[in-house]
Order: sequence, then structure tokens, then C-alpha cells
Amino acid sequence: MSEARLRINSENVVHETIEGEVIVIDLASGSYFSLSGSAPAIWEMLAGGVTAAEAAAALEARYEADPATIGSGVEELFGKLAEARLVVEDANGNGNGNAAAAVAADGKTAFEKPAFERYTDMQDYFLLDPIHEVSPEGWPKPAE
Amino acid sequence: MSGTGPATIGREADPGLAFLGELEAAFERAGARAGHADEALEIAGMRLGLSFAGDAMREALLPPLAHLGARPAGEPDLRISVFDTASTGVEAPPLPWRPPPPEPGTNPLARYESERCCVLAAAGTGAVTAVDLERRTAIFHLADIAALPPNERAAPLREALHLLLGKLDRWMAHAGAVGIGGRGALVVGRSGSGKSTLSLSCALAGMVIAADDYVVLDLGPPPVAHAVQSTAKLTEKTAGLLEIGADTVAPEEYSFAIEGAPKAEVQIERLAPGRFEPALEVVAVIAPTVAGLESPRAERISAARGLQALAPSTLIQMHSRGATALPALAALARAVPSYSLALSTDIAANVVAVTRLLDGDD
Repeated sequence: MSEARLRINSENVVHETIEGEVIVIDLASGSYFSLSGSAPAIWEMLAGGVTAAEAAAALEARYEADPATIGSGVEELFGKLAEARLVVEDANGNGNGNAAAAVAADGKTAFEKPAFERYTDMQDYFLLDPIHEVSPEGWPKPAE
Repeated sequence: MSGTGPATIGREADPGLAFLGELEAAFERAGARAGHADEALEIAGMRLGLSFAGDAMREALLPPLAHLGARPAGEPDLRISVFDTASTGVEAPPLPWRPPPPEPGTNPLARYESERCCVLAAAGTGAVTAVDLERRTAIFHLADIAALPPNERAAPLREALHLLLGKLDRWMAHAGAVGIGGRGALVVGRSGSGKSTLSLSCALAGMVIAADDYVVLDLGPPPVAHAVQSTAKLTEKTAGLLEIGADTVAPEEYSFAIEGAPKAEVQIERLAPGRFEPALEVVAVIAPTVAGLESPRAERISAARGLQALAPSTLIQMHSRGATALPALAALARAVPSYSLALSTDIAANVVAVTRLLDGDD
């Protein structure tokens, strides 16, 4: 399992949890995403920076499933989130305890595989007006 | 600009504010040369002060907003100043940021955002919007009104309004709004989803309409959708579907294109006399899709799907992060039911489906 500590790419991404599902909008690409199943719990941990192993351990305490199933689900989601650049490496982070906070207080529940859906139907519009971020340190700096 | 001082605080630390200060000085020079024209409007219960240097930009941008009417005297809650170089002879300060040269058909934006300031500079059109969120003021500049970008003509000053209204708990949304008896539905979805056609169909069938493309939301409770511009956009194909003839919209009016076929921008009053309603309580969110069905098919969808239909097209078109706008749009999706509506080729049946959803009959 990768030891990379990842966090939400909050420079480019806005997100909202609604009815147990996370809607994520990537303003750098024009794509948007839906996270469901156990993915919202993992996303919550990513807000403070977390490794796949830490996230899996937290889910093992929360859900009824064998560790391998949980571990592969977390790894797969981490891969998709990183590929979509919704998360970035949190080089200096040490986590903030969110993983521990995700442990259920009232017993384990059935594990739902993390679900990740990507929507690209807004990209046509976005490509007409591509955005390039600039910053006081140097410009132009293409959006990453 | 009157009423508030120039953007001097933190200028050294914030290059966006420094640029805004120079732009404000240029606006003052433009006004001194070409004359100031101030408009006091009301948008979603807020006083909007529009200041134009000279008449060219005023004549181009004001008509869709003129319905917002005169507001009793008082300090504006938000203020936008507008000028162009061609008609005033005053150059804008050089941009500190330039996006790469645009590929044909594209309009890359350089976006600078800090806690207090946002600057959007478009390479293709040369439009610049600079916003001071703390003072709730903005400047919009174009080199030449003759090169008014189509999206600016369709929804004037939307980026500045989006950013400034957000500081006042009012939220721009990419949506139409139609209703009956003061109760209405937001009609949401990306361009091409059937949003405008459905909204105009409803107005032509006797319902009221606040917008076909953009509204300002006040979450209340109850949530209310306020009209921004009093115009609607339609293609010749849409006009044909809705049986809007050349006596209402002349062929030469289909003259601008944002994407796809050329569109005409027409006062709603001309299309559907007496049907324009400046504000509607929002009781439902409807996400149409063009489906070509014999009969329309409506389904209740989750708040998450409703938000998914409303938020991405809003935030991506506003060209700014909108970190606080997404929770507001989510609050609306939680507050009222959302529906998908697969549209029929039978326009009248689509309108009936909307009226049923307004009654909560799904």
C-alpha cells in the first residue's frame, strides 16, 4: 500500500457533502465528480491529509469487512482521485486526527465499496475559456 | 468612483489590489473626459450602483438590467464601474498578468484571486473584471465596446455580480426560473439541456418567467429567485419550435454566438407580453434533458443529483472558485425537491409537466 500522504487539492477543487454523497467540482478542468459508498468517509479524512494505510485502518474500525477488501477499495479510490488531480501529495502534513475521528461510535456497519464517478459534460464550455491561475510569486502560471 | 476611497490598503502586499487601484484611477479619468452616468438599481433587495464613463458602455450593457429600476437614494450595497477605451480615449493600465495567446475560438482567462481581490483578464476579448470584495466594488473594462464579448452581452457583468453578491448572501445561479402565482421552479442544467426552451415554453403558455439563464438566489427562507436581466436568448431553431415568427424576432437579430448556433437576445416582454416576473419563490428544482420523447417523463431525484445539475454549470461559468457559493447552492438543493424532466417533442405537454411538479405532483 502506498505510503504517500495525500490531501484534497483545495486550490482547484470545491466540494460539498449532501445526503451522504460528496459532490466535487474541479474548477481547473471543468470536470465534476460524485463520491458515494464509503468514499465520503475517505474524502473526509483527506481534508486533513491521510495515507492509504491510515484510511484503511480507520475504515476497518468502522466497517464490517476483511482488511484486504477495504485496503483494495481505498487503494483504488486513492488512485482515481490522484489521477483526476483531486488530491495532491501532502508533503509536510502529519495528519490531523480525522482518521481516528472517522471510527464509528456505535459499532461496525456493512462496508460499501468506495464509488467514484466522473462527469465531463461541462468540459466543452470550459475549454472555450481555459483558466490560467496567476499568483504574486510569478505569472502566468498555468492551472495544474 | 465616489462614496468609497481607492484601493490603497494592502496594495503593496496584494498586486491584484494595486492593479485595481490603477484601474479605478483610469476610470476616473475616463469619466472626467466622457462624463459620468450613474444608475441606482435594486437587485435581490440590494442597492446596486452602476457607474459608466460615457454613454457607449451604458447603452450596450444597461438595457437588460434596466428593469431593476430606480432605488431610493442611499449608499449602494455593491458598486460596479464600467468604461471602455475606444469611446473615452483613456487606456487601462497594463495588465500584470497575461494569459497565453488564444487558440482560435477560445478565450483563455488569467485569474488572480486573493482573500480580498479577484482579477479576471480575458485574452480573446480583452475584457477585464477586477473586484475588491472588502469594499464590494468592481471595475469592468473593455478596449472597445464594438468587441463586446457575446457572453457579456448575454449576461452583463455576471462575474462581478457573482463575486460581490456572494458577500451579501445572494448567489448567482445558472438557471431559468418559471412559475405560477408567485411560486416557481429553478430550471437548471448546462447549455443545451433544454433550459431556455423549456423556460420560454412555459412563459408563452401563460406561466410567468423570471429568467431563462441566470438568477440571483436569496435562500430566505423561503428561497427566492430574482431576475438579473429582463432578456432571453434564443436560436432560430428554438424560435421555430416555439412558433415565434419573424414579426417578433427578425432574422438579423440572430447575431451572436457563445457556442453553437447564433442567438438573438430579446426582451422577454416582447416574446411573452406581461409574463416577466422579477422574483419567484423557489419550490422545486427541475433538471430538463432533451430526450425527444412522445410524452415528457418526470422523476424525483436526490438533492445530490439536483445540486449536480445546478452547481457545476454555475461555478464553472463564473470563472471563480466560489468556495462559499457551493454550500449556498447545496442549501437550496436540500430545501426544495429536485426533479429530472426528460422533455417531449410536445411542447404543451412539457409545460403541463412543469405545472404538475410545481404542485408537488410527481
